[in-house]
Amino acid sequence: MAEATEPLPAAERKFLTYDGPTAGVKYPVRVLYCGECSMPVEYCEFYPNYEKCKKWLESNLPDEFERLMSLKGEGEAGVDAEDGEKKKRQTRGGKGVVKAKKKSEPQGIKLATSKRGKKKMVTIVMGLASYDIDLKDASKFFANKFACGSNIQGEDEIVIQGDIKDDLFDILPEKWKCINEDDIDDIGEVKR
Amino acid sequence: MFKKFDDKENVSGVNNAKSSVLRGVRASVLEQFPYIADYMDQILPKKDALKLVKCHEHIEILANSSGEPVFFKQRDGPYFPTLKLLHKFPFILPHMQVDKGAIRFVLSGANIMCPGLTSPGARMTKVDDNQIVAIMAEGKDNALAIGLTKMSTQDILDKNKGIGVDNIHYLNDGLWNMKTVK
Repeated sequence: MAEATEPLPAAERKFLTYDGPTAGVKYPVRVLYCGECSMPVEYCEFYPNYEKCKKWLESNLPDEFERLMSLKGEGEAGVDAEDGEKKKRQTRGGKGVVKAKKKSEPQGIKLATSKRGKKKMVTIVMGLASYDIDLKDASKFFANKFACGSNIQGEDEIVIQGDIKDDLFDILPEKWKCINEDDIDDIGEVKR
Repeated sequence: MFKKFDDKENVSGVNNAKSSVLRGVRASVLEQFPYIADYMDQILPKKDALKLVKCHEHIEILANSSGEPVFFKQRDGPYFPTLKLLHKFPFILPHMQVDKGAIRFVLSGANIMCPGLTSPGARMTKVDDNQIVAIMAEGKDNALAIGLTKMSTQDILDKNKGIGVDNIHYLNDGLWNMKTVK
């Protein structure tokens, strides 16, 4: 590791050069990113959920997976030695572990209605944000579609004026393919 | 800089830049990174809208018309390319390669210490202090961080102690995870 190795003597040192685009390479370079940790695939091994990354790679980029695995096989001995050293003592300054991102799983969508005044109703849609849907876009879409007022209220809640619960059951899965009709839950009427 | 950055909390406003501002930005970026001249039209097209994302701590992020961050700067400092842009055009910055042992520390946001740059696995480009550099890693093709040198390459070799390069932006930090802006 870093502190154990002596710097190279000046004579052996080779410097990198900074001289612009490499000839024969077509830019922009396409870099493969892991769908699990979002880093370039070669850095997946430094992610705490490496196992998940591996699975993702195997199913999405089998060629790349194959290549990385064969690369790793060659360097296996070195990695083992490093592990042994790690166990012996904890290096100063913490372990330098990258924190895993917590991903919000889709919670399902809840629909509710609520009374406004004596005879008017509003529809409340909850849980859209957990599907990675932009609430502002969604609210705009509802307002357009139903020709009514629609606004974002609170963290993950859209209030649409008028009782349009029945329509939403059809429109939500149609507009956003990631929503399944079975995920949509009607929780009836709520007071507010 | 982006260790505790969150695109929901730290962004205070997004607006489209005037074309005169875009012209100024293009000029100053070109001046800083002369090698990208041929690819400038791909990075920041002349006619496209440029988005200015104003964030806390006087950070300003420039995003192209599709909302992808391409450059950022703090106060009136120099423009830094984002890592996504650097991956596409790796020649923008001089490369500094760290050894294998340093990778995990850099990925958790640590500054780059001199020994990590002088050991046998590492290689450096000859630069002065206060230069923007791309942090590469031994055995990897893509950059893992963008840094600002605190010492010149010669000083790093001579002193071989302490912080050599400040870590400005690294994989999986707040800016990397930022969603495209609207």
